[in-house]
Amino acid sequence: MSTGTPQAAPPAATQQAFLDPSLDRLAIRPQEPVERAELVALYRAMRLARSFESKLAALYRQGRIVGAVYLGTGQEAICAGVVSLLRPDDYFSTVARGLAGWFLRGVEPRHVMARWLGRDVAPSHGRELGLFLADLAQFGLAPYHNGSMASWLPSGAGFALAFKLRRQPRVYVAFTGDGATAPGDFYEGLNFAAIHKLPLVVVAENNGYAYSTPNAVTMPVANIADRAPAFGIPGEIAFGNDVFEVRRVARRAIEHARGGRGPYLIEFKTFRARGHGEHDDMDYVPQPQREFWQRRDPLLLLTAYLAGEGGFASSELAELDAACARQVEEALSWAEAQPLPDPASVGARLFAP
Amino acid sequence: MAVISYLEAISQALREEMRRDPSVILLGEDIARFGGAFKVTRGLVEEFGPERVIDTPISESGFVGAACGAAIEGLRPVVEFQFADFIACAFDQIVNFAAKACYRWGTPVPVVFRAPSGGGFRGGPFHSQSPEAWFTHVPGLKVVQPATPFDAKGLLKAAIRDDNPVLFFEHKHLYRRIRGEVPEQDFVVPLGSAQVKRPGADVTIVTWGAMVHQSLAAAEQLSREGRGECEVVDLRSLAPLDRDTFLASVRRTGRALVVHEAHLTGGFGGEVAAIIAHEAFDALDAPVARVASLDVPVPFSPPLEDAVLPSAARIRAAAVELLEY
Repeated sequence: MSTGTPQAAPPAATQQAFLDPSLDRLAIRPQEPVERAELVALYRAMRLARSFESKLAALYRQGRIVGAVYLGTGQEAICAGVVSLLRPDDYFSTVARGLAGWFLRGVEPRHVMARWLGRDVAPSHGRELGLFLADLAQFGLAPYHNGSMASWLPSGAGFALAFKLRRQPRVYVAFTGDGATAPGDFYEGLNFAAIHKLPLVVVAENNGYAYSTPNAVTMPVANIADRAPAFGIPGEIAFGNDVFEVRRVARRAIEHARGGRGPYLIEFKTFRARGHGEHDDMDYVPQPQREFWQRRDPLLLLTAYLAGEGGFASSELAELDAACARQVEEALSWAEAQPLPDPASVGARLFAP
Repeated sequence: MAVISYLEAISQALREEMRRDPSVILLGEDIARFGGAFKVTRGLVEEFGPERVIDTPISESGFVGAACGAAIEGLRPVVEFQFADFIACAFDQIVNFAAKACYRWGTPVPVVFRAPSGGGFRGGPFHSQSPEAWFTHVPGLKVVQPATPFDAKGLLKAAIRDDNPVLFFEHKHLYRRIRGEVPEQDFVVPLGSAQVKRPGADVTIVTWGAMVHQSLAAAEQLSREGRGECEVVDLRSLAPLDRDTFLASVRRTGRALVVHEAHLTGGFGGEVAAIIAHEAFDALDAPVARVASLDVPVPFSPPLEDAVLPSAARIRAAAVELLEY
């Protein structure tokens, strides 16, 4: 073992390790017809999330955010693609790294911004970071706890148990990550769901790093989906930056779960283009790996499709982009005008009446 | 009124609540056909079916998380831990999820965790603990601990009907040793209501769980000896806490002894003592005293376990010290 030598860039051959070549692509296209309105909705949600997160990162650097900031930049296609397939009474759980999914579901950017700024807006009224949102009634966003992203597999199984006992054809989608496949809750939740054939879809966004620790240090298997046979459930691996592929795979999984055949584990290979939080400069990610994934950015891939085969005029896309940017500015103005919570409210609502 | 055991009282509460409310379901290890390690749930799967009496894998965090999700979605799960000690495996789901969901999101989590706790039956370090103070420290949880069949049934019914997470510590050494009168008709014991189990003018003993019985035994002995009359206040519920009942008692007697089976340091008795010292300082004729388990794990071998757990003799000795102060 050598010491004191600077970290060398990996040789070109190891770029294959960044993504399995069988999943890799630099251009995307749907294999089935997608309505134009649906394409617009997907693009808008992803672009809005990207614009929103860029603003959030700037606010963080300006000291205008009171706590830490965590972004999902580079992973927008996954939550957007999956959530676009859900029915209104389905549930899902994800932190704000799935912002595009939140937006697609109707969560308003101004409310998200106000939460990041610690303002007094429902449902948390300043008790939670903007990173977390649960609102079953309005958005089907299930409560979870943030200790680890594995912790909502058991609770997701519980929601799914309630669906099953009531003979409701609903599904619960738990978004999680590669790091969250290490805690026991990942196994306990999937085991329980598999035993009872519960409608639980687990979407593991494998961005290669649990905070700073790469997969190889925490996983004895090459893929998260390799673990599916232990539960007797289907496991599938796909390219998470291709929103069309995300939808193809997720549709199968959701139909499987809704049809009463039990849980389904999908692993989407992706990359977190920013740090674990904005305080993290990602110095653990080799430059070639960053550049590899920059060329496979999900918005870049979708934009290229829309502007090419998709038949969207560049002016149309520019207009959508400008509308998103405006919405983010409006969200910020609105959020900054909202009151901070009253300290006298701090003891309220600890218990249900 | 029928005289039934503490265990039968808990079984009756479960059966009656399941009949009353179809959203009540049970989850736990070996609880269906086998009826649970202590047979509390015997016969329930036969009456309510395997969808409402669910045998779980040995995965406390998993089935507690599942119970919380199902509770938020409108079911009323009652989780049985095989032993209260194993609740440690589900600590995260209880304190970080169940306890905080209402505060964070306004989402009620109506779930009951039944935890057979306590020692005295040679169970050793992992089958004898009294972990209530792990949970009284966490805002958002309710914690109850019945000492009699009447209270066990009434508190469990109240817990199941409550919209918040409730930890129900049932003392497993009382299951078949304690019998008492329990009404046939429906009743609840409200959470947060203490009860004077024995009136007395000279010393107030504030206690809960199995130590209620040890405290009553000590009180009877002191009375027979003509040393004084102890008033025994059974808290029944630690969170919410009924301060008024024990403070009123201490104001009458001027002497307070707090007794619990959990370890001394960091035990809930320290909280009770602090409340008495602050709220009833002027009424005290002696310092507030405590009797609790020693600060070591509960050991297996009889002379060792007996040295750790509080006994009627230790309670009597502490009360005598207060009387003679």
